[in-house]
Amino acid sequence: MATNTGRSESDRMQQETGFQRLVRRPESGAFSVMVVIIIALMIGSNGQAFNALGLKNNIAIIAQFGIIATGAAMLMIAGEFDLSIGSMIGFAGMSMAMMLKWGLPFGFGEATPFMAFAVTLCMTLFLGWLIGTIVVRSGLSSFIVTLAFLFFLRGVTEVAYRLINKSTQISGLQDFKETSWFAELLGGEVFGWFYDLWFMLGGNLNRREEQWVTGFDARFLWWLVIAGVAYFVLSRTQLGNWIYATGDNRDAARANGVPVNRVKIGLFMFTAFCATMFAACQVFDTNTSDAAKGNLMELNAIAIAVVGGTLMTGGFGSILGVVFGAITFGLVANAVFFIPWLDGSWYRVFVGAVLLAAVFANERIRKRITGGI
Amino acid sequence: MAMPLIHIENIVKKFGPFIALNGVSLDVRAGEVHALLGDNGAGKSTLIKVLAGVHQPTSGKIFIEGKEMHFRSPRDASDAGIGTVYQDLAINPLMSVTRNFFMGRELKGPFGTLRMDEMNQIAHDEMLKIGIDFSDPTQAVGTMSGGQRQTLAIARAIYFGAKVLILDEPTSALGQKQQMGVLKTMMRVRARGDIAIIFITHNEIHSQLVADRFTFLALGEVIGSGSKDDLEHDEIRRLMAGGVDIGDLAKEIDQVMAEASV
Repeated sequence: MATNTGRSESDRMQQETGFQRLVRRPESGAFSVMVVIIIALMIGSNGQAFNALGLKNNIAIIAQFGIIATGAAMLMIAGEFDLSIGSMIGFAGMSMAMMLKWGLPFGFGEATPFMAFAVTLCMTLFLGWLIGTIVVRSGLSSFIVTLAFLFFLRGVTEVAYRLINKSTQISGLQDFKETSWFAELLGGEVFGWFYDLWFMLGGNLNRREEQWVTGFDARFLWWLVIAGVAYFVLSRTQLGNWIYATGDNRDAARANGVPVNRVKIGLFMFTAFCATMFAACQVFDTNTSDAAKGNLMELNAIAIAVVGGTLMTGGFGSILGVVFGAITFGLVANAVFFIPWLDGSWYRVFVGAVLLAAVFANERIRKRITGGI
Repeated sequence: MAMPLIHIENIVKKFGPFIALNGVSLDVRAGEVHALLGDNGAGKSTLIKVLAGVHQPTSGKIFIEGKEMHFRSPRDASDAGIGTVYQDLAINPLMSVTRNFFMGRELKGPFGTLRMDEMNQIAHDEMLKIGIDFSDPTQAVGTMSGGQRQTLAIARAIYFGAKVLILDEPTSALGQKQQMGVLKTMMRVRARGDIAIIFITHNEIHSQLVADRFTFLALGEVIGSGSKDDLEHDEIRRLMAGGVDIGDLAKEIDQVMAEASV
């Protein structure tokens, strides 16, 4: 009988080369799709999508997607969904614009941009806490609880607009960026040096040969901050380990002393925070607001999270993948502005197809990690 | 003789009118494997849960190193040094070996950051001590075999201060070779000399291979106990079946077959 006793169980793991590891990373799929889209858009738009203004406009929508998708992905890794993100954006935008126009509630006088933001954030964080508490206490599916809040918050937003403002839109607010550092921080411009440098190198010129674009929208910075913090928390901190553990196997996590309920409630508050940042950047950038803002954004956020490699079942996901997903979705959503003959509805066709492909790809990743169970 | 590490006296546990445990007593010494045997429904699981702090006993006392203990929660029990490794192991398959090892008890640096290198090293060393050389502690647990997962759970319990290690049927869902691996792991833990192991099993062969003492439960009571030398092979088998002789059982089976062929 031939025996081979020198081998142990761990020898059965096939050694992978560095390239194989890279290809098998959860974000590799999102990365390749992103590269294809960037090249296709470059060719299709004759480079216009990435000229000075094109880049600014693309980054604006990418950052919007990125902010909410980061929140959605963190929550999904912990095993829950939030369908109320879009309505939360509408609610937060309404709340801030209304305070800026009509003053603080209960006759506390005029609202500065900071006060409008702070009061709104208190309300949205409370709503996030409430949603999370209902989900963990009742044991109901977060899908159904947040679906209820999707309708509830959108309805409250519209009713509040009509009651106080007599119209579901607010436009023509004064430009607070000129008077308030806080409004400038959220709605102004950032990374001006990038465009200055571009101008100095001989690009970034308008028709009169002057500097064309002066900076990115501030939300670019906020997206980088939020994604950076999320990445750090997930990969390097105790809280990150708790988030993974909560989404993977809640009972095992609890048996080892992880406060799973507090983790989940905290993450529902984090998605509410992301929605509020989305709305604040929009309100202070455009000085307008309306009741339909953020519509369907919850589904975009979940789609981006999934395309970025986040598992629907929780326990696994990558913030880097979400960054790639947000870039891809933002570019495709904006493509119609750079390619005149393109029908804008192709965006949804694209989202549907990529989403389906991503779910299959993620399932393969999960099976590989768990040994095919 | 040395003082038992854990001494259980007359534990009674009732669930409403149902008497799950009716006065169970047990002593386990450090460096000793104590096999707890019994058929399904004998009360083994209830006894473990009482020791692990999941259930509070209706009456009776638990002493650890001579001090009386009252466990109100699983945390109380683990703080007192009782490490329970359940059949489902409380492990997350998508997470790495290290992240599982330190789940809920991570080593923190400034701002709640993880001391990842240190944690990788500890996880690797602790598993090596009881027999598995794991080259890559960042590997996901989902890729490990059942025996390796069992080892991970045992190493984790010991590292976090278990003096009494309760293993709930650790060999039951494994293949032949992995069962032997887990038994070897148990013997390495036993050789340390400072840990008392309570080994719950259905398998008399496994219990005879590793156990120093035996306690047999049936219908919530201890029906027999003794050291390895006291008990004959047949006696162990008889007690495991809840006091029924295998010979009697063979007769009963013959009878059923006779009836069926009529």
